[in-house]
Amino acid sequence: MAQATSLPVGATLTHAERRQRAAVRRGLSRAAFTWGSVIAGLAIWQFIGVYVVKNSLFLATPVASIMAVGDLWAKGEMQKNMIVSFEEFAIGFAIAIVAGIFVGLLTASFEPVKLILTPWISGFYASPIIALAPLLILWFGVGIWSKIAVVISLVIFPMIINTEAGIIHTDASLIEAARSFGATRLQIFTKVALPSAAPYILAGLRLGVGRGLIGVVVGELAGARAGLGFLINNASQVFNMPQLFAGVIVLALAGIIMTAFFQRLEIVLVPWKPR
Amino acid sequence: MATKLAVRNLNKHFDELEVLRNIDLEVADGEFVSIVGPSGCGKTTFLRIVDGLESYDSGEVLIDGRAVTKPGPDRAFVFQSDALQPWRTVWNNAAIGLEIQHRLNAPERERLRGLLELVGLKGFEKFYPRQLSGGMRQRVNLARALAVHPEVLLMDEPFAALDAQTREIMQTELLRIWTQARSTVLFITHQIDEAVYLSDRVLVFGRRPGIVQESITIDLERPRPTSVKRTPKFTEYVGHIWGLIEVAVRESVMEETLLAK
Repeated sequence: MAQATSLPVGATLTHAERRQRAAVRRGLSRAAFTWGSVIAGLAIWQFIGVYVVKNSLFLATPVASIMAVGDLWAKGEMQKNMIVSFEEFAIGFAIAIVAGIFVGLLTASFEPVKLILTPWISGFYASPIIALAPLLILWFGVGIWSKIAVVISLVIFPMIINTEAGIIHTDASLIEAARSFGATRLQIFTKVALPSAAPYILAGLRLGVGRGLIGVVVGELAGARAGLGFLINNASQVFNMPQLFAGVIVLALAGIIMTAFFQRLEIVLVPWKPR
Repeated sequence: MATKLAVRNLNKHFDELEVLRNIDLEVADGEFVSIVGPSGCGKTTFLRIVDGLESYDSGEVLIDGRAVTKPGPDRAFVFQSDALQPWRTVWNNAAIGLEIQHRLNAPERERLRGLLELVGLKGFEKFYPRQLSGGMRQRVNLARALAVHPEVLLMDEPFAALDAQTREIMQTELLRIWTQARSTVLFITHQIDEAVYLSDRVLVFGRRPGIVQESITIDLERPRPTSVKRTPKFTEYVGHIWGLIEVAVRESVMEETLLAK
């Protein structure tokens, strides 16, 4: 009881409430690390830009870059280019996911398909497809479809590989258990292999976000009339460093937000996985 | 009592290796039969054949007079590794057999609720396997098998991975559940005392190839309190069975040691 009197606030809390508060505290301290890291990084960048490099031709400071973002936003240019880039990314990403999962399921399920496709998949996955971006512009024009093609070519291969790996790594004893209840091949696929591959597929999505964003920008750099890559390209041609960094910052933010989104999705879709 | 399972002249090879030779046995309806024998005596293969997970070369495996060719709803298998789906909760794991067999309706759900209570998992329905202890996971494994109302329950060393104390508890629990479910049980184990304690009959398998060496009827009154394990009659059964397999077990241990080197 002596403890209770010395801790008047804590003593009135139930066990659950105290646990909840502890969890909140932990969450806050983790958030502090993340934001501390971001803010410290920006501060160092600002310091170098102001006191070390000094010349804004070589390095724009974060303050100048963020002001450039605001400036472009006020003129409506940022939104216009963001929408174009987002459209290219979203369409390419969606097509790559659906097709990638489909092909991955095929290669995992049918030996001949796997034998036929594997050399091509590994080859394309490892090769610098980005170098082919100008060629894709020639084939599909300067509109959005050439960028969509670049995004697909970068995202689809990790999707295929991850999906296939997920299916193949299905625990044999789980398949056996389903079989002992008389499961058909289709049931084994839908009730065992597919859920077991889900974490791999979601990891493929997260990998795909970064690659897809690179695809959009590279496609736009190779030839475009609008988009964040177009904006970056224009800025670099007139040595407008704050504007160039403004484009890069927006892309980085998009990457962070989308990766976080897929992490959340993972928690919702695979709640059973220890984290 | 009526014959539930009849096996006649069963033979099985894995390529050149003869695994089972002329297995001939009958199990009565509602009987609890254990199979003991050294590693490599083919007892797991035998159980898998009865479940229909494995093919056989020649002979007959009949359940109620019908030949076994593939897994069927009249049998259920309890695996040594619990083989629970990590993404399914206790409830959904226990229900998977019914789900696969398209029998998961309201009365079956009600029955499954009772079954989970019977195996001591009431209140854990929403837990994931990783949140459970080994003993609780094996209870889910058992409930999953019982959920499809199997007439024959095939258990492959279900308690092998458990510690000695949990194992004792699970043995008495299994007997309690079996008394209510009243299915025929084929139970594989390495523990001779476990076999004697649980069974109406113990089959001793010999190795290379697997043959039925002897069938010992365990004449101990049921219900059996755990104290029965300290009676002279019990230890006599255990001693007799150990005597039958000691040489073969030594051989198999020697072989494994040599292989490991």
